[in-house]
Amino acid sequence: MALETTPGGEPPRFELRFSLTQGAFTVAPDLEIAARAVALFGPSGSGKTSILEAIAGLRRPQRGRIALRGRVLCDTATHINVPVRDRHVGYVPQDVLLFPHLDVKKNITYARRRLRQGSGAQANPPGMDMPDLDHLLGLTTLMDRKVAGLSGGERQRVALARALYSGPDVLLLDEPLAAVDLARRRLILDTLVAIRDDLQVPLVYVTHSPDEARAIADYAIVLDEGKVVAAGKPQDVLP
Amino acid sequence: MQTEILEIALFTTAAALAATVIMLPPGIALAWVLARHRFRGKAVVETLASLPLVMPPVATGLLLLWLVGRRGPVGRLLAPFGIEIVFTPVAVVLAMAIMGLPLLVRTARAGFEQVTKRYEQMAETLGARPWRVFTTVTLPLASRNILAGALLGFTRALGEFGATIVVAGSIPGRTRTLAVGIYTYTETGQDARAAALLVVSVTLAFGAALIANRLARVD
Amino acid sequence: MRRWAATVAAIVLVAVAVVSAQSGSSPTPRPRQEVLVCAAASLADVMQTVATAYEKRAGVRVVVNTGASNTLARQIAAGAAVDLFVSADEAQMDAVRGEIVAGTRIDLLSNQLAVAVPSDRPRTLRSLRDLTDPAFKRIAIGDPAAVPAGVYAKAYLEKLGIWTVVSAKVVPSASVRLALAAVENGAADAAIVYRTDIAPTRRALLALAIPITDGPRIVYPAAVIRGGHNRDGATRLLTWLRGAEAAKVFEAAGFIRAD
Repeated sequence: MALETTPGGEPPRFELRFSLTQGAFTVAPDLEIAARAVALFGPSGSGKTSILEAIAGLRRPQRGRIALRGRVLCDTATHINVPVRDRHVGYVPQDVLLFPHLDVKKNITYARRRLRQGSGAQANPPGMDMPDLDHLLGLTTLMDRKVAGLSGGERQRVALARALYSGPDVLLLDEPLAAVDLARRRLILDTLVAIRDDLQVPLVYVTHSPDEARAIADYAIVLDEGKVVAAGKPQDVLP
Repeated sequence: MQTEILEIALFTTAAALAATVIMLPPGIALAWVLARHRFRGKAVVETLASLPLVMPPVATGLLLLWLVGRRGPVGRLLAPFGIEIVFTPVAVVLAMAIMGLPLLVRTARAGFEQVTKRYEQMAETLGARPWRVFTTVTLPLASRNILAGALLGFTRALGEFGATIVVAGSIPGRTRTLAVGIYTYTETGQDARAAALLVVSVTLAFGAALIANRLARVD
Repeated sequence: MRRWAATVAAIVLVAVAVVSAQSGSSPTPRPRQEVLVCAAASLADVMQTVATAYEKRAGVRVVVNTGASNTLARQIAAGAAVDLFVSADEAQMDAVRGEIVAGTRIDLLSNQLAVAVPSDRPRTLRSLRDLTDPAFKRIAIGDPAAVPAGVYAKAYLEKLGIWTVVSAKVVPSASVRLALAAVENGAADAAIVYRTDIAPTRRALLALAIPITDGPRIVYPAAVIRGGHNRDGATRLLTWLRGAEAAKVFEAAGFIRAD
C-alpha cells in the first residue's frame, strides 16, 4: 500500500491518539502531527520509550489509534493491529541490540530487501543500497568486524545502517547519542539531519536533552509521568 | 571376544548418536514452547516431559512395551505394514531417545530463556517472519545450551539400560548394547566379558565428559 | 546453517547404517529363515552353544534373547514376535498360556538346587537343615516373590519345615546371579542357587547339592509361541532340543533332562 508522499512539500503526518497503561502510569497522547522529525522530550520514565514501542508495535495500546503517513498501524475500534514485522519501522533502541552472533555486515543486511511497491511519485522508497549507506555512515572499515569490539559511536552507525537497509517508513530512535562520545555526537547528528532531509525518512527521536531536540526536530512533545504537558514547535515548548 | 566387544561398542555409539539426532527436533520444539509460551495445561506438559527422568527406567520400558508392542496402540497401527519395534535395534534407539529427551528439554529450555526476547523483537522490526526469527536469531543464540543438552542426552543414551532391556531385549548382534551386555554377562557369570564391556563403557563416558568440558570452556 | 544440516544428515546416515547392519539385514521385518528364542537368563550360555550347534546342523539361524523370565513373559504378553520361549519356571510359562501354540508345551530341562559358600570358608553341609545353625547369619536367595530359583528354594525350605527360622536370615536378591555374588564377596554366608551357577565361579564353592529326588521339581518348560514369524522353524528346533545331540550339550553344562 502506497504511503502519502509529499513531494518536497508538506511534512509527513503522524496520528498518535491512544492510551497505553503500563505499571504505574498511563501514556495517552492525543495528537495529530505534521513534521519531519518529532522529538519526545522528558525525564527518565516519563513514557517516551513507551510511545516509541507503541509505534513499533512492541506494545499494544489498550485504546486508540496510530497512523503514519495515512497508513493505519493500529486501531482498537476497528480491531486493526499490524504485526511488528509488517510495520516497516526502523527501530534503534537505547541498547542498540546489534545481533551478537552476526558480524557487522550480516547485521546491516539482516532485513530482507523491500520490493518497490507502487510506481512513480506514489512509490515507497526501497531500502538503501550498501554503497549509499557506506557513503552516509562511513562503514567500510567496520564491515568485517565483530559486534563485540565496536565503540558506542560505531554501534550507532551500524544500527542506523541496519534500520535504513530495510527501507523504513519512519526511524524510531531512542537516545541515540547517549552512548556516543562528545566528539562524535556532531557527526551522528549531522547524519540524522541528512537522513531526515536528503533521504526524506521521518524521525521520531527520544531524548532528555533540549539541545538535541532543538537541533533535530521541528515538533516536540513534552512528557511528564506519561502525560503530555506540552506539544508544538521546539522553541515554544522546550526549556 | 574382541570383535564382539567392538561390535557392541560401535552399535551402542551409533544407536546413541541416532537417538540424539532423533530427539533434537521434538526436544528443541518442546523446550521453545515451554520457555516462551504460557498456556492452559502447561504444567501437565512439563510433567509429561519430565516423566522419563523421574520414573524408574524399567517402568518407562514397560510403558513403551505396551505402547509399541503389537497389541498396543502404536504397535497395532504399524503391524499391518510388517513393522515391528520390540526386539529390534529401532527399540534400542527409541528407548535411548525417550530417556534422553527430558535432559535435552531442560537444558535447551534454559538456553531459550536466557535469549532475551528483545533480540527476537528487533528481528521482527526488521521484517523477519516467525520461522526466520527462530532460525536466524533464537536458535543461534541458544545453540550452546542446545549442544550441551544434546551431549547430555547422548551420554544418557549411551548408558541407558532399564528401558532398553524391557523393550529391546538382549539379542547378541542386534540389540545388545554396552549396558545391557554388562548386565547379561554378569547375570550369566561371564565376568571377563562383562569387565571388558565395562572398561569400554567407562572410556566412552570419559570421552563424552571431556568433550562436554571442552565445549563449556570455549566461552 | 546449511553446513550444520549437512553434517547432521551425514551423522544420521552413518548411524542408521551401522544400526541396521547389526542384523545383517533391515531391522524389520525379520527374515523367515530365523528362529527367535527367548530363554531364561540362567540358560544364556548353554542356549547360545545349542543354537550354534543347531545352526550348523540345520542351516537355520537361531537368535537367542535372554533375560529374566518374568520380563520375557511380559514381552510375549505384549505381542512380541517370539518363536520359542524357554522359561525358568512354570509360573512364567503359565502367565503366557494364551500365547502358546496348543500342544507344544513340554518340560525341557531340569536343574538342581545347591548351596554355595564363599571359597575362603569352605564347608560341607549334610542337609539344608544345617542352615539353621547360628554360624550362618545371612543367606542369600533369589527373591521368592519374583525369581524362579527363589520360589523353588522357599518351597523346599517350607517342605522341610524350616522356612520360618531361615527366612529371618534371608536376603532376597533380584536374581540368582546376585545371590551368588553376595556369597562371592562375603556379604552372605551362604546362598541357595542352581548347581549350574556354581561351576563357573572360583570365589564360591559347592557346599551341598540337593538330591533331585528330595528337592523341589525344577522345571524349565519350553513352548512354541503363537505370535512368532516362524512357527515351523520353532517346532523343528524344539524337537531337536529334545533329542540326543542337544542332550549332550545340556548335560555338559550341568543341566538335567526333564524326563
